[in-house]
Amino acid sequence: MRSVGALLCLEYAATVYAASGEASRPRGVGPECTLKPNANNVEAHIRVLACSRAPFSPLLTNSPPVAKFYKDASTFSCISNPSIILPLSRLNDDYCDCPDGSDEPGTSACSHLSSLSPHTSADHSRTGSNISLALPGFYCKNKGHIPTYVPFTNVNDGICDYTLCCDGSEEWDHVGGVKCEDRCQQIGKEFRKLDEARQKSLGSAGRKRKELVLEAGRLRREVEDRLQSLGAEIEGSEMKVKQLEAELVEVERREKGKVGRGPVQKVGKMGVLVGLAKQRSEELRETLARVREERDASRGRVQELEGVLMTFKEEYNPNFNDEGVKRAVRAWEEYAARDKGPEPDAAHDRDLDAITQSDKDNGLDWAEYESEDGEESEAVVLHSFETFLPLSLRTWLDTNLRTLRTTLIDSGILADTSSTSSSSTSESKAVQAAHSRLDAARQDLANHHKSLASHQEDLASNMGPEDIFRALKGQCIATDSGEYTYEFCFLDKTTQKPKKGGGHTNMGNFVRMETVLVDEDVDEKGRGLGKGDRIAMRFEGGQHCWNGPSRSTLVVLGCAEVGEVWRIMEEEKCVYRMEVGTPAVCDLAGVGGGGGGGRGKEGREGRDEL
Amino acid sequence: MMLQLNGSSSRWTAFFLLFLALCSLLTPAVTVKHENFKICDQSGFCKRNRAYADTALSTSSWSSPYTLEASSVRFDKGLLTGVVTKEVGDETIRLPLTVSFYESGTARVTIDEEKRRRGEIELRHNSKARKERYNEAEQWAIVGGTVLSKGAATTQGAEKGTTRVAYGPAGAFEAVIKHSPFGVDFKRNGETQIKFNGEGMLNVEHWRPKIDKPVLEKKEGEEEKKDGEEAAEAETNAVTTEDEGTWWEESFGGNTDSKPRGPEAVALDISFPGYQHVYGLAEHTGPLSLKETRGGDGKYSEPYRMYNSDVFEYEMDSPMTLYGSIPFMQAQKKNSTVGVLWLNAAETWVDITRSSSSANPLSFGIGGTTTTNTHWISESGLLDVFVMLGPKPQDVIGAYSELTGYTQLPQQFAIAYHQCRWNYVTDEDVKDVDRKFDKNKIPYDVIWLDIEYTEGKKYFTWDPMTFADPLGMQKQLDEHERKLVAIIDPHIKNEGNYYVVDELKSKDLAVHNKDDNIYEGWCWPGSSYWIDCFNPAARTWWQSLFRYDRFAGSATNTFIWNDMNEPSVFNGPETTMPKDNLHHAHWEHRDLHNLNGLSLINATFSALLARSPAELSHPIRPFVLTRSFFAGSQRLGAVWTGDNQAAWPHLEASIPMLLSMGISGFPFAGADVGGFFGNPSKELLTRWYQAGAFYPFFRGHAHIDTRRREPYLAGEPYTGIITQALRLRYALLPAWYTAFHEAHVRGEPIVRPNWYVHPEDERGFGLDDQFYVGGTGLLAKPVVREGQLETQEMYLADGERYFGYFDFEGYEGPGMVKVSAGLEEIPLLMRGGHVIPRRDRPRRSSGLMRWDPFTLVVVLGKAGDAEGTLYLDDGESFDYEEGAFIHRKFSYSAATSVLMSEDLAATGTGSSKKAKEYLKGMEKVRVEKIIVVDAPAAWKGREEVEVSEEGAGKSGAARKVGMEWFAGEGGKAAWAVVRDPGVGVVRGWRVAFA
Repeated sequence: MRSVGALLCLEYAATVYAASGEASRPRGVGPECTLKPNANNVEAHIRVLACSRAPFSPLLTNSPPVAKFYKDASTFSCISNPSIILPLSRLNDDYCDCPDGSDEPGTSACSHLSSLSPHTSADHSRTGSNISLALPGFYCKNKGHIPTYVPFTNVNDGICDYTLCCDGSEEWDHVGGVKCEDRCQQIGKEFRKLDEARQKSLGSAGRKRKELVLEAGRLRREVEDRLQSLGAEIEGSEMKVKQLEAELVEVERREKGKVGRGPVQKVGKMGVLVGLAKQRSEELRETLARVREERDASRGRVQELEGVLMTFKEEYNPNFNDEGVKRAVRAWEEYAARDKGPEPDAAHDRDLDAITQSDKDNGLDWAEYESEDGEESEAVVLHSFETFLPLSLRTWLDTNLRTLRTTLIDSGILADTSSTSSSSTSESKAVQAAHSRLDAARQDLANHHKSLASHQEDLASNMGPEDIFRALKGQCIATDSGEYTYEFCFLDKTTQKPKKGGGHTNMGNFVRMETVLVDEDVDEKGRGLGKGDRIAMRFEGGQHCWNGPSRSTLVVLGCAEVGEVWRIMEEEKCVYRMEVGTPAVCDLAGVGGGGGGGRGKEGREGRDEL
Repeated sequence: MMLQLNGSSSRWTAFFLLFLALCSLLTPAVTVKHENFKICDQSGFCKRNRAYADTALSTSSWSSPYTLEASSVRFDKGLLTGVVTKEVGDETIRLPLTVSFYESGTARVTIDEEKRRRGEIELRHNSKARKERYNEAEQWAIVGGTVLSKGAATTQGAEKGTTRVAYGPAGAFEAVIKHSPFGVDFKRNGETQIKFNGEGMLNVEHWRPKIDKPVLEKKEGEEEKKDGEEAAEAETNAVTTEDEGTWWEESFGGNTDSKPRGPEAVALDISFPGYQHVYGLAEHTGPLSLKETRGGDGKYSEPYRMYNSDVFEYEMDSPMTLYGSIPFMQAQKKNSTVGVLWLNAAETWVDITRSSSSANPLSFGIGGTTTTNTHWISESGLLDVFVMLGPKPQDVIGAYSELTGYTQLPQQFAIAYHQCRWNYVTDEDVKDVDRKFDKNKIPYDVIWLDIEYTEGKKYFTWDPMTFADPLGMQKQLDEHERKLVAIIDPHIKNEGNYYVVDELKSKDLAVHNKDDNIYEGWCWPGSSYWIDCFNPAARTWWQSLFRYDRFAGSATNTFIWNDMNEPSVFNGPETTMPKDNLHHAHWEHRDLHNLNGLSLINATFSALLARSPAELSHPIRPFVLTRSFFAGSQRLGAVWTGDNQAAWPHLEASIPMLLSMGISGFPFAGADVGGFFGNPSKELLTRWYQAGAFYPFFRGHAHIDTRRREPYLAGEPYTGIITQALRLRYALLPAWYTAFHEAHVRGEPIVRPNWYVHPEDERGFGLDDQFYVGGTGLLAKPVVREGQLETQEMYLADGERYFGYFDFEGYEGPGMVKVSAGLEEIPLLMRGGHVIPRRDRPRRSSGLMRWDPFTLVVVLGKAGDAEGTLYLDDGESFDYEEGAFIHRKFSYSAATSVLMSEDLAATGTGSSKKAKEYLKGMEKVRVEKIIVVDAPAAWKGREEVEVSEEGAGKSGAARKVGMEWFAGEGGKAAWAVVRDPGVGVVRGWRVAFA
């Protein structure tokens, strides 16, 4: 291999020229190799360096800091250990001399100098265990395209790495006969075309984002306006409630003074019995109703459970080949085969309906018995007495008595026999009406408060930078993957829908916004998250998984012209990750910037382990 | 609700029920279901023979009722024949005997039964099963080494009642056959090493007709059978005192075995006088040195069982059966190794006991008096035992491998890293994982697809929803010389419009049930049929299924994983097939059960040789992974230890399990890295990769319910440490490949236990947590305990110098030494006196390392010498069989201070066209660096060595290259580095250091 080194160098020099459109230069003329370096003579540097075993042209790099280290014409000092001085013949001779690999910019000889490789004492004979490469990789000039660094691990491995090194220069040794022709013209052209489309798309995405920001602003103002008007409404409601409270107090006061037809104070034995019977009957009715509700709920649950088990039996995953599961299936089969007990009986239910109606509806008016059998109270007597008086006198008496009574009650001399303070059943109509008016007003007020709170919360909640997701809230994007369609609704929920039909599965409800660090590819169309911090939405508490947790989804957002789901993965059982493109995260500076917009180079740069 | 109950008693009931409910919730979720698998007492023939053994041992006047008829004995050309008779009452059962003596020094004892062989028996239930004892195990398991010895000869003047045959190398072996009771003593140099029937447990259950009891009794017995019930009810028999309860029908787990041939077990006691340790009987989870099985402190109370089964969530340290079995056992005493192969594919149990006449059982030393007694019990078939008399471990494993075949020489990729998961769910998912490995600069060679890639678990199909473009996926893999392994299982979905099942049915190639109709069972796809690979027509058909034009979507870089081939049948007895199922030629499943896995991979192996006409003429080496195996499976593929768990004890157990596979002739074995069930902690995952880098078969795998755990997901520092472990494996691939070659040509284990390397060191006989890598002198003891982050004790068997692989720290044996074991460290030593070949440049896959230069690590021994070998070929084809390989010996001699490379290939090997082409292609591949560990201090200050190379032509004069000597600090050895000697790996050369 050594013996062909010199030839190679010349060939390479020639190809460099050819690639740089300088084919007119004489092919591999010997003396070029001995040209003295000149700070201004870029070509000379190439030639000098090309005279070693492998090509290298660091001066053309976009990050020139390293280029200066290769300028000396007679010796080379390892970049990180300048005390190690090597003759030029040891540059690119496919043997790693420098502890930082800087003597082999054009071969894979130092590719093991990485924290990812195992090391022995012999690897760091001079430096201790500090392993770090001085160079970012093999420099591919890629004339006609963008220069890149290829990981040293890829140099001369027999594979043309066109995605990184379109000029094929990393396979300069042609191991195993591999020949990587220069494809930069074609690849560069395609790249530029795509890049143009990407830029266009990015521009359009930016415009869309602006529209979204405007829309979000508009929506925000709507909420703010609503908050304002809610404030006014609340004030109004509060006043109304106050008025009605006052009214109620007044009405009750008046009612208390009312003589006559107060509640029955004393009843005879029969009355007691009737009272107890009535109470008992109501208790039983209530209990029946409750038991019935419980029964219906249980029946529903049993049905649901049987459905679950039925599906379980049909679909159970014999993955586990688990005797427990098999036993459960067998037990279910036995259960299913058994007599299921009586079907829900409509007649029976009608009976129950009838029983649970009020006694009155069933023709039993407890009141009849109560009043008939009760011993007359003083009030009743008084009433009877009153009836004998002429109407005008009666009214006068009535008013005065009532006032007197009210006064006496108010002053604590007479007991309050009306039961407004304890029970509402015997309230007068007037009081009841006042009550219901007050209740309605209070309800209104509560609703307004609730609405206020929710709007305030809405305003305060994180809807992304510039409030942008306000514009997208509730909007959904779906994609097909395998046998399912997956749907993501901004700030709302994620859903899995079987294509073959059947129930939708909730994969989580929105809980919060997050920022996640990603490192993903961006495809040639600019789709993908790229590298860096990205905005994400966390969805939790979805449908529970059999043998697993509740479903949850992390939706990570990248920049795209139109909303689309790029990828959906089940990272572990029932824990999903969606990667979604949306214009909403385009062109954002700093954290959460949707840099996945495919700014060409980002996804293309090859950096070796540093 | 219970709350409405009154009274304290009902409240207590409620609490009790609640307590029970809580208890059931608290029961650990992960545990083997013992009730699914038989213990000896539930397996009629095992119970009977254990009882027989008890009788033999407890009866002082016990005399085995087997006699060799002296008049029947014939001996001719290494083959002795005769008839052993068994007296039962007034009946004489005739059992034809053959004892074969092979050129290799292996002897073989085979006992058949005349009536069954002649078909003079009646089968019950109108069974169509064969009447003979199964005699075809040999056709599957044995491939060589059965040339009869011309040198074997009967010894004249043997004492009366015996026949003696001298055989083996230089006639050093002798078989002493006692006539009455029948028994054989195998001697080496006059000393008995192995005894047959020394304890009188020989038992051949002869055919007998069933004498029916009153109907009533039987009916009752059948009615009462329940799940989990042991065997059929014992029925008393007036005629004999033998317990006939398990003779005719047995039920287990709701399945009844109709046993049309009645009782037919074979059993024999085999003793190893003076041998303390026995190894083998893979695969079990216990220690490498097998435990006693008759109860007692630290001993098992069940025999080792071999009945290949899909054991869900198997347990540690257990003699329970697992997925595969190799009925091969080696016994070890100081400087002597012997072995026996019990060739029987039916359900087999082995009891082990030890007896010691020494007053102090702890005393070791010459003439140790511990004897290991073993009792082998098989349900049916021939009694057929091979005996190897050593005396070296290599002699025994060599003889065994000659018989059952050598490990396949795998493709290079197959010994690199495999990334598997149940399941990579789409083709895009696969491509994504592939890209991420590259992105994170982690090497890998193979990505795997579990069952979900198929359309509805129909093998040979792809789910069109999730794997719409399998070829595109495989193309991306191929760009970096990576491979795909797809699962194909033996159960074929019973569903309409599926060509595979249609053909299987129409051609009648499936296993039959006891009524000789197609057998239907339940597996992944639901209702399924099983291909019967014992049928030659089925094999031919199976081969056709893998053709590229039939298995659309498969490519040249597709290889195959045969899982569930015990076979696993979800609704079958013990999760496998009913024993009375019928295979090709009407053999009962019970006869060949343990061969079933082998029969499938045998068919798949040949299928992979013939996927296209082009490949047929220039085939590449197949790669098949199997879960189930038997003696001989090593010829056909790799094996893994099945569904382990992400738990430290499983990591720990993986090492003795793989060592056991290694010494059982099937070294291409691995355990799922990370653990199949459950989620490993990052520490466990990291340690598992460090251990996995030393598994011969190195695959990460995970259950579908687990979190993703590809190495790049672990996060730092774990991902970095795991990547180092992976790159270490890749750097050492030349050493691993050389070790595989040694297994391929000599049957040697790839990871070798201490006793194998140091058969003289009794203290190391029980050691099974550290091992040597091939013949490289690399000694590894991966950390397998949680929180062990500082040091690892390692045992050095000899007085040689050992050095830390990474830091050159020096250690001296014999005895325990402490080695640094931080999380980022793998306790790995280099034994002095070895040369280790490496390729240090990290690449994306092993295929891309093909042209890379080598580094030689020369570790000088105490005497100052070192020696090592390198085997290399194209890593894919069979061209190596035509000489297209490189086989070099590197040796350094202290006397001459010269490191030499010599050709190990036979003269003229490289003369074929293919060989020349290969060697020409490798012409440029050089040695780029030589590291000499423990370099003499005399080299200090020297800066050059002299290199000369053969075939360097006229200008081939010696040249000087740079060398630098470095002093070791503290306890570290000094080392020297030769800078780019540039010598070709295909050529001979010398490097003179002085």
